[in-house]
Order: sequence, then structure tokens, then C-alpha cells
Amino acid sequence: MLSKNVLQQLSDRLGAGNVLHEKEDMLVLGYDSTPGVHLLPDVAVFPTDRDGVLAAMEIANQEDLPITPRGSGTGLSGGSVPARGGMVLCLNRMNRILEIDEENLTATAEAGVVTLDLFNAVAAKGLFYPPDPGSQKISTLGGNVMEDAGGLRGLKYGVTRDYVMALNCVLPDCSVLTTGGKSVKDVAGYAFKDLLVGSEGTLGIITEITVKLIPPPKDKRTILAYFNDIRTAGEAVSKIIAAKIIPSTMEIMDKATINCVEDYVKIGLPRQMAALLLIEVDGHPAMVEEEAQGVQAILAQVKAAEVHVAKSTEEANNLAAARRTALSALARVSPTTLLEDATVPRSRLAETFAEIERLTLKYGLKVGTFGHAGDGNLHPTVLCDERDADEMKRAHAFYDDLYDKVLAWGGTVSGEHGIGLAKKEYLARQIGAGGVRVMKRIKDAFDPRGLLNPGKIFTDESSEATVHGKEV
Amino acid sequence: MARRYRVSSPEKLGNFTPQDAPLYADVLQCMRCGFCLPTCPTYVLTGRERSSPRGRVALARAVADEKLEFTAAVKEEAFFCLDCRACTTACPSGVRAGEVMEICRSQAHAFYPLGKVGKGFREFILQKMLPSPALLETSMLPTRLYQRLGIQWLVRHLKVLKLGPDWMAKAEGMLPNLEKPLRLQLPERIPAKGEQRGRVGFFLGCVMTLMYPGVSRNTVKVLAHQGFEVFTPRQTKCCGAPHLSEGDRETARQLALFNLDLFLEQDVDWIVTDCAGCGAALKEYEELLEGAAEHEKLARFRAKIRDISEFLIEVGLRTEGLREVKTSVTYHEPCHLCHAQGVSAQPRQLLRQIPGVELRELKEASWCCGSAATWGLKYSRESQQVLDRKLANVRDTGADLLVTANPGCQLQLAWGMREAGSSQEVVHLMDLLGRATPD
Repeated sequence: MLSKNVLQQLSDRLGAGNVLHEKEDMLVLGYDSTPGVHLLPDVAVFPTDRDGVLAAMEIANQEDLPITPRGSGTGLSGGSVPARGGMVLCLNRMNRILEIDEENLTATAEAGVVTLDLFNAVAAKGLFYPPDPGSQKISTLGGNVMEDAGGLRGLKYGVTRDYVMALNCVLPDCSVLTTGGKSVKDVAGYAFKDLLVGSEGTLGIITEITVKLIPPPKDKRTILAYFNDIRTAGEAVSKIIAAKIIPSTMEIMDKATINCVEDYVKIGLPRQMAALLLIEVDGHPAMVEEEAQGVQAILAQVKAAEVHVAKSTEEANNLAAARRTALSALARVSPTTLLEDATVPRSRLAETFAEIERLTLKYGLKVGTFGHAGDGNLHPTVLCDERDADEMKRAHAFYDDLYDKVLAWGGTVSGEHGIGLAKKEYLARQIGAGGVRVMKRIKDAFDPRGLLNPGKIFTDESSEATVHGKEV
Repeated sequence: MARRYRVSSPEKLGNFTPQDAPLYADVLQCMRCGFCLPTCPTYVLTGRERSSPRGRVALARAVADEKLEFTAAVKEEAFFCLDCRACTTACPSGVRAGEVMEICRSQAHAFYPLGKVGKGFREFILQKMLPSPALLETSMLPTRLYQRLGIQWLVRHLKVLKLGPDWMAKAEGMLPNLEKPLRLQLPERIPAKGEQRGRVGFFLGCVMTLMYPGVSRNTVKVLAHQGFEVFTPRQTKCCGAPHLSEGDRETARQLALFNLDLFLEQDVDWIVTDCAGCGAALKEYEELLEGAAEHEKLARFRAKIRDISEFLIEVGLRTEGLREVKTSVTYHEPCHLCHAQGVSAQPRQLLRQIPGVELRELKEASWCCGSAATWGLKYSRESQQVLDRKLANVRDTGADLLVTANPGCQLQLAWGMREAGSSQEVVHLMDLLGRATPD
């Protein structure tokens, strides 16, 4: 329980309207989109500028209060869940786009800017910010950087990390760190910027971000392919890559996902098909033509059941929008959707689908799989009910087995969602005890008192893991 | 998805009262993806998670899980929700946060009963006035006199009412020029013109007959001209929407049962309304009355209900003989039409078929106007902010007319336009189609 004095101090420094502590507010600021994790903070603050963040950090230091940064709470690994209670620092009110620099092709924005707002603002100036996580219409740039969010265009354009040029952040010792800049080359000292990207709010609180922009592709074409067997779809993906064609998007949905998405969007997706691939090629018109031909030839060769080319931009956009709803649409089927983020080298895709099928049967589960097939990044999603303890146990066993295989194939336990609270054990499996020790030493160097987003990425023995936040 | 509410249950759901509690499955359905957040006017206004659909459902779940009492803050959020249903449209998981909040409003009355005077007043309005068309009409008499004698002009120009509480001034300012209520003037049966295409039961809503009799007169005229015999039962009672909105589900059920039988007794192929609010309520009778009426009757009734624009597009608008209406228009989508009924393309299709009409797309056309039944009066400051956003977008279109399809929106928008000194006129879609239809 926080003392009145602390609340008063926070109100004085940040403004009374920017501090919340009522139970009803705490209840809704202790979750993100990760199932099963919901913990209560003691207070939430909404700084409107960097000084506000600094003030909050000072008070947290003085009161020994854990501090967890939060954007829109759309994360999928529990990164913004206050694992040890304390203060949730919401960055949504820092949502100004500060500059779009058309000479240097960069944009600078505060951490709370919504991803799609930035995309639209630069598009209005004829520029392109490619990272497009599924939640782009509400996710924040700060959250994207902290989790190194991917998206549908990752295959050709990369992920958030590939666009971050500079970061401005407040460190746990209340100093301000600026790292990177608008120079396209920069090898001055340790690459803090790269360390901070994907650090899940454990090293510093980002207040300002400068991202790289690129010219938008002049043309694009969207191809939709249906398959009678999901493994054939996997084979198609591997063959397209092997043919040295890099589409901007190569997304897969299995039958369960197709049906859930169709229930919502009603655009005539093929309910009876085992899988579909949504493929988009973009670039110079001549290249688009050539690559589209190449893709279609491979689809014919692997005997895709049907191949369609989108007739209009509107149709193409509707298909991409439909794909973005996949995870949420799967939630129609069951009360709980447990989602994972397994990523394998692309040549292993067909085997991964086979393994998912095998484990689904073995554990008697209902699984919907979709994801960024072109990146080898799949989201096998167990559709279950958190009230059914046995089913939950089987679901976890399913992922345990799957990750064993994924790691054996040289894959990773998280392609784009981060480790957060949800995947700490899997990370330890992937990088080993030695890897975890080095990560902890880095964490200690930034945050010796362990105030910043404690309990994330790895189990934090020093500040003792048994002291958990209040479970909701 | 039928089975939505439990009217009452032997098992108590957490800290809810048994009468009209949400279903646990409905609050569990939310996987917290946050897709609803940018579509929620109250979240966008406040930036406060608990004033978002995701937050509100989480609060309801906390009450169901006994992690929270049904606190004053839960009540506040239930009523602060506009019930605009934009979140329902945005939700891929099929969560209906607006309806969960509607149910929480009725829970709120169980937990926080009004004082004697307040309770008496509320019961008088919801249980006496609204269910009785005749009482409603009589009550409007003084208001009409007040306008006719020029008192309204004086009051508005001297800004007398501005001295009182804001909402009264706004309510007064919103009143359109009142004509005689339509209900008793309109013949119960109007024959079809030209080749007859079927029989339509017309559901004449309370606000339509009292505030916009001219609009519904046009609706009936259009229906007849389109080849439909129109039957408008005089006994029609309020659809129950105001009761659902105020959390009086029991009276809503009684009204619904009455209207259900009244319209099923008629030999009509369709039941059509020109009020989006009524249409949404009528389409929800099936769920509201589950267990209170035979399922077959409910399904039969549900299958006949259409909004007028949905109906005209479905049967096909006969455009021969339509007069040219030379004007540019933009279209504001009523929440209870686009979000609650999923009718979004049809009004635009109709507008494009009226000769001479140029349709200009409105930015954020399906964003609420801030009227939302009595919300606009209860939260007049917030309502103004929501309205300002809408009016700015309307202004940008430069269209001559702002077309909409719901009386609540029309009252709010026309008032906003008047206050802002705008020359853009607000009309109901059926007024426009009425102008194009020969007498």
C-alpha cells in the first residue's frame, strides 16, 4: 500500500490528473494481451513529457517502488504487466510526432505515438515506415521498440529493430541516455541502441525514438493461394525463398484460423481449405511482374488447390486486414487463447507443421495456426478454457514438446513477442544458464537496484522471485 | 450466437445480483487484444483504460470473479459507456462490451437504488409515460404551444435557459419545430402504388411520431410508392430502447412482448422502421425475450425486421419516376444502424440512386455523434467534444446536406450545426428520398 505522501508527491510533480490509484483503475492496468497474467499495480502515472518520466523515476527510487512501463497493453508475453506491483508508467500521453525529416528520411516521435499514426503521418509525405505488428492500430512505438515487434512485412523489410536510429531514454539511476542519431553509420562505442531494442522495459524507459523511413514501393501485387494440405503450403514457402524471391509478405492461416477470421470479416475466405497463403510482392512494376510470375509458377508446381490475384488495392488491403485479426478472431472459439511464437529456419516449415499436427493429436487439443510463414515465424494457438486445469496442463505439455523440436532445429522460442513473464523457462532452455548469467550482469549494470520491470525475461533471484505482485 | 443474457439464474454470478446478470462466457470472451480501444469515443476522450471497452469488460469480469464489488466506479462506467457499439464492430473475438454495459446498468439500479423522488420520476417516465403513446402525445402539447406562441424564440434569443443547468438548455435547444404527432393522423392502412410487391408493417417510433412526423410520413409515402401496402398499427408501443439504455430491462420486456404479438398478428411480410434505435432494439427482442416467449415466435419476428434502407436495397429501389434532387450530401452513420445492425453500405447505395444527389464520403462516418440517448444530456461536456469532432469532419466535406438515419443523431447534429452557425442542413435519409418521390 502506498503512503498518501507518495501519492501527493506524484501528483505534485506529474499533475493530479496524471496519477491514478483507485482499485478499478489498477485492475485494468495490470494486464496486457497475454492470457493468464494479471497483476495489480499500486499506482499508475501518465507523464506528459520526459521530465514527468524523470520525476516518476526519482520517486520510485526514493520509495523502492518497482516501475513497469506500459504503452497500450497489447503485448503478448506479459512485458507490461507489473509483476511485482508498484508503479505502472503509462506512456500514452506522450504521443506527439516531433519531426518528419524529409532530408534525412527519419521521423522522431515520443514513445506513446500509435504505430499506425506514425505510418499515416509519414505516408502523407510520401514516405514509408514498414514495421506493422498485428496490433498496429493501437500499439505504441515505444512498446514496439521495447519488444522489437515484427509484423506482416518482416520478410522483406525486417522488424522494428531494423528501423530504430536513435533512442532517448531515462535510466533507473535517473540519468538520461541518448544513443544513436540520424547518421546512417555509427560505430562509436557499444551499441546501446541495439541493446535497448527488445529489452522489454528492463533497462531503461524510452521517451523518444528516431526511426528510419524509406520510399514506399511503387507497385505491389497480392496473391492468395489455397491448399488441401498445410504441409504443401509450407513447401511452397520454402520453394519461393529458394527461388530467391523475397515477397514483402508471406502469411499463412490454417483451417481453424480461416474459419474464425471468416466468421468475423465475411469476405468469402475458403472455409473448406486446409490452409491459405497470403503473398504480396512489391517494388518496381517490372520486378513485381516478374516476381508475381515466379510465385505463381511455384504455386502451380506444388499443386496449390487454387490461386487468386487480388483485383484491387482495396481487395488486397481487406485481405491483409483480415489476416491481422487472426489471433483475436481465434478467441471466438474458446474462452482462452494460448499463443506461441515459435520460429524456425524456413527450410523446416513443412516439418514444423507436421509436428504441430502430431502434438495436437497427442495431447487432444484444438489448435489454430497462423503466422509469418515467410519468416518461419508461426503462431500455433491452443484454443482452450483456463478453467479446465487438465486442458491447460496438456496445452503446456504441447508447447514444451514443440519447443524441444524448434530448438533442436536451430529455431527460437520467440520470433517477435518477447520473453516477458510467459517464456522465461523457454529462454533459459535456448540460451543456457551461461547466457542467462550474462543477461543478468547486463541488467545489473543498468539497474543495480532491480527497480525496472522486475521479474521479466529471466527469474530474478537477487531480488527474490517469491515476492510476487498481488494476483488478480 | 443466441443465448446472451440470463434473465435470472439460480446460481449467482460472482458479485452480480442474479436478476439480469451478464453471462460469464461473455466476459471471458475478451482476450484483451485492444483492437477496440481506438474505436471507443470515451477511451479516446479520456485515455483511461477503465473507460474503454476492454477495461469495462475487465471490470465486469472482476465483479464476476468476486475480485471487485459492484462499486460506484463500475456503475459510473456502465453509464459513461455510450453504448455506441463501435467496439462490437471492431472486435474480432465477438465480444459485445456495449451489451455487457447495458446489463450492468440494470445491475446498477439493483445496487444503487435511487432516492424516493428520483425513483418516482424514473418510474413515471419509463413505466408510465413511454409505454403509453397517448400520454406521450399529451405531454408534448405544452411544448408545441410554447413554440407556437413564440416563447421559444424569446427563450432562445434571451438565453434565459442558459442560467439553469446546462442539460436543460441543451434539451430545449435540441427541440425541432414540432408538428402534430403522426400516430393518429396516419391511416393504419395505406395502399400500394403501382404493381404491389408485398405488405409492410411500419414500426412508428415514439421520437419519430413526436419529433419528426414529417420524416415518417415520407417513409410511408416512399414505401407505398415503391409498391408496398403499409400497415401502421396505432397501438404500437415504445420499442423498449430507452428502457434498455436506462437499465429497466423488465419494462423493456413487457413492451417487447406487446409489440411482438401486435405485429405477428398482422399479415405482413416485413416489419420496417426508419429509426435506427428502434431497429436495433427490435432486432434484439429475440435475445431479450429468450425464455419469456416461444422461440419460434421470436425467430419469426426477428426474420421480418428491417431498417428502411436495408429493406429498400434488399427488395430493390424502383427508380423510375423519381424526381431529381440537385444537392451534395454526406452521410453520418448512426451507431445503432452501422454498429448494432451492421447496416452500413445500404444507406449510401440508396443515396447514390437518388437522381441528382452527389454523395461525398465523410471522414470517420461511423464515429458516434455524442447523442447516445440521454448520454448527451448527462455528459454534456464530453458530448460536446464528441460532437465537435463530428462537426469538423462534416464541415470538411462542404456538402449542402448532412444525411443521417436516426432521430437521436438528427437532434444532436442539427443542434450542433445551429449552435455552430453552420448553413449545412441535417436531414433524414427518408426526407431526401421523400423529396425525390412524387406524391
